[in-house]
Amino acid sequence: MRATQDRVAPADAGECAAILAQAGAEGRMVGIGGGLTKHYLGDAASLDIELRTTSIAGIVDHVPADLTVTVAAGTRFADLRAALARAGQFLPIDTPHADDATIGGVIAANANGFWRARYGGVRDLLIGTRVALTDGTVIRSGGRVVKNVAGYDLNKLFVGSFGTLGVIVEATFKVLPIPAAEAGLIARFGTVSDAFNAAAIIARAPARAEAVVVERQPDGWDLVVSARGDDKTVARAVADARHAAGSSAESAAVGDRLALARELPARAVEGALVRVALPLASQTAFAEAAARRDTFRELVADASSAVHRVHLVGEDDAVAEDAAALVANARAAGGTGRIERRSERLRERLRTWPHAPLGETLMRRLKTQFDPAGILEPGRSPG
Amino acid sequence: MATAVRAGMRGTALVRALQELLGAKKVLGTPEELLIYEYDGAVDTATPDAVALPESTADVSALARFCYEHAVPIVPRGAGTGLSGGAIPVEGGVVVSFARMARILEIDVPNLRAVVQPGVINLHLSTATAPHGLYFVPDPSSQKACTLGGNVAENSGGPHTLAYGVTTNHVTGLELVLSDGTVVRLGGKAVESEGYDLVGTFIGSEGTLGIVTEITVKLTPLPEDKRTLMAAFPTMDEASETVSSIIAAGIVPSAIEMMDQLATQAVEASVSAGYPLDAGGILLVEVDGARDGLDDVREKIEAICRAHDASTIRVAATALERERLWAGRKGAFAAMGRLSPDYYVQDGVIPRTRLPEILRLVKESGERHGVRIANVFHAGDGNIHPLIMFDLRNGPDELERAKETSIEILTACVEAGGSLTGEHGVGMEKNCYMPLQFAPADLAAMRRVKDAFDPAGLANPGKVFPTPGRCREFSLAARR
Repeated sequence: MRATQDRVAPADAGECAAILAQAGAEGRMVGIGGGLTKHYLGDAASLDIELRTTSIAGIVDHVPADLTVTVAAGTRFADLRAALARAGQFLPIDTPHADDATIGGVIAANANGFWRARYGGVRDLLIGTRVALTDGTVIRSGGRVVKNVAGYDLNKLFVGSFGTLGVIVEATFKVLPIPAAEAGLIARFGTVSDAFNAAAIIARAPARAEAVVVERQPDGWDLVVSARGDDKTVARAVADARHAAGSSAESAAVGDRLALARELPARAVEGALVRVALPLASQTAFAEAAARRDTFRELVADASSAVHRVHLVGEDDAVAEDAAALVANARAAGGTGRIERRSERLRERLRTWPHAPLGETLMRRLKTQFDPAGILEPGRSPG
Repeated sequence: MATAVRAGMRGTALVRALQELLGAKKVLGTPEELLIYEYDGAVDTATPDAVALPESTADVSALARFCYEHAVPIVPRGAGTGLSGGAIPVEGGVVVSFARMARILEIDVPNLRAVVQPGVINLHLSTATAPHGLYFVPDPSSQKACTLGGNVAENSGGPHTLAYGVTTNHVTGLELVLSDGTVVRLGGKAVESEGYDLVGTFIGSEGTLGIVTEITVKLTPLPEDKRTLMAAFPTMDEASETVSSIIAAGIVPSAIEMMDQLATQAVEASVSAGYPLDAGGILLVEVDGARDGLDDVREKIEAICRAHDASTIRVAATALERERLWAGRKGAFAAMGRLSPDYYVQDGVIPRTRLPEILRLVKESGERHGVRIANVFHAGDGNIHPLIMFDLRNGPDELERAKETSIEILTACVEAGGSLTGEHGVGMEKNCYMPLQFAPADLAAMRRVKDAFDPAGLANPGKVFPTPGRCREFSLAARR
């Protein structure tokens, strides 16, 4: 948790923008929170104001027949899910911390789960935003239509920006009908390469699985697959997955299992949690090397998007060394990585981004353009 | 046309200097050579001072650096198929053709990626990856000619983006040359990169943030099977209500295309795709994916079509029949030449449930202004393409009435919660209309992005943003 002096919870977008403008004029540092589920992200920085979006909440507009929903950013993800379910629809993002996270936080942290390859990620499903800026204005980007190239796609700029460019106050997403059928499958492999080879076949199969997850277990590697859709497509997806996974594959209800894997960031309180995005074919080598580190405790891989999380626990020196090595491995493979979470003791030693990101100069210029006084989310700017 | 006056090197001095910089073979500068670069797929024209034909990123970088030092606008151009004047050098300067940077650098099957130069033609990539069972999803109707660099600049769509997304959903890495000559690499083969999503911010920026010199795209497994059906309806109302019902039923086809009678007749005369000539509206619907569920979905779609009084439903039985149905749709814009020597294609988007009412408005607007309008469009996305016809030989009045009709239609789209453009871009065709959709603060935020990437303002000037000179007249009429 970050120490702050003032806590404010603006009632609407205009009030939010006014707070930012005043903070900018006074040079006071602003942290932005929704459900505070991802408070661990970023580097240490002291704040003067903690701005909570939780009062800017509620469904703004839901037109089921358009398959779109507009929602205030402080709305809890769980509340949106419940509202959509009443209309037989869902927002296809299986975000971590789903019970308490807010919509704004999911966007700002680009908090995808395992479904990204099947349905698209936050950036692909988000079609409109309203954002409060430090100049006191509230801007609109995109809209309520699924296709739109009028002007720059500022939605993309705010996804994963961690609140460093502005405060997201409203969002419009594409939604989908809740599928009729679902099924799951678990298979155990002796070697990491067998697990990822099977995962690759399943991820490319015509009846597209919803989640293809590989987990390290004490005595092997588990492949967990879920599929949703119409009856016949789900049956086909499971049949293909079973064929690819071989004799150890067993049908299973995998919902709880996937939820546990997805919530790894919530329980990785000790040590460090490394999160990497890799080229698809680099997964075996990365996971194998990760599991060999002395401080290795747990690995969860979204194998269809090649996003891995590795939890490291042990002596601080060893954890810090292993974490840095894993990010370096990801980079060497042509991917990227960050220290997503680490114990308070390690906060000073392990920076979130150990390396400058590609495009760092442009990112700094954008930061200066949108937040010239540099008041928004110090410690969460890339580069 | 009034062009902004900007101090900087122009004309034959510029041509000579660029020939010295890049070599004579990489620069065009005679009036005859420049003539073919003064137009694209839209209506406006302007002649460049010079055309550069770079062969490498280093060439582009040197060119941009030179332009930066000599205050020369720099305008990238793919195949010139754009429909909003994006490649037109409205303030003069250098047009950069990517005809010589047109290689597929890598087809990386294990990683489901391809790395290409910007001049690669869209369809050539999918053709090259087909033996691996893979394709590049965005398929603009111009895909036999348009380039991937142009697709990135315009964030191009196409009929099959309904289920699978547009260009921005299929690009993971870019190499850019900024307008000061700096080379920047962004993203890569992984699904995301750290920091701001600069790849996503750049895509669709229409050449106004810099020049793409290399693109890393996602490749997607070809669908196992498809079902394609054509349904004919007595009127456009029934056809558009069918679209709303299909979407509302939770069916996500890979494409739902719609055509009115005027368009159908022109297409039939041109390619004979087998569309019924007496239908008021025609839908082309395709579903793809795993074979198992496809016939169930097709049957549901047929039932919805019948419930809306479809007079004919034809399912393509063979790949050849499917191609024939699609040939009509993809050749539709070309066929319009049979109806009128000139036309405006508008590209507004509306929430899909508003389709029936917006199509009625299009019809009424055309009738009120006395212009003929044909409709061929991506109904499933709510992305309309009214082709507003005029004939310049009949004097400027007809063009004016076509423009007035355009503004009326676009205003209605925006008021319905939609957008001025779904895939064709703003360019110099709709930049004056931007205040219809965006408040001053919205445009100011976009300007901040522009200033971060291109502080000198040399990257494709006169596009996207309203320009004081050209847009003065319109902004008086804009509603906010």
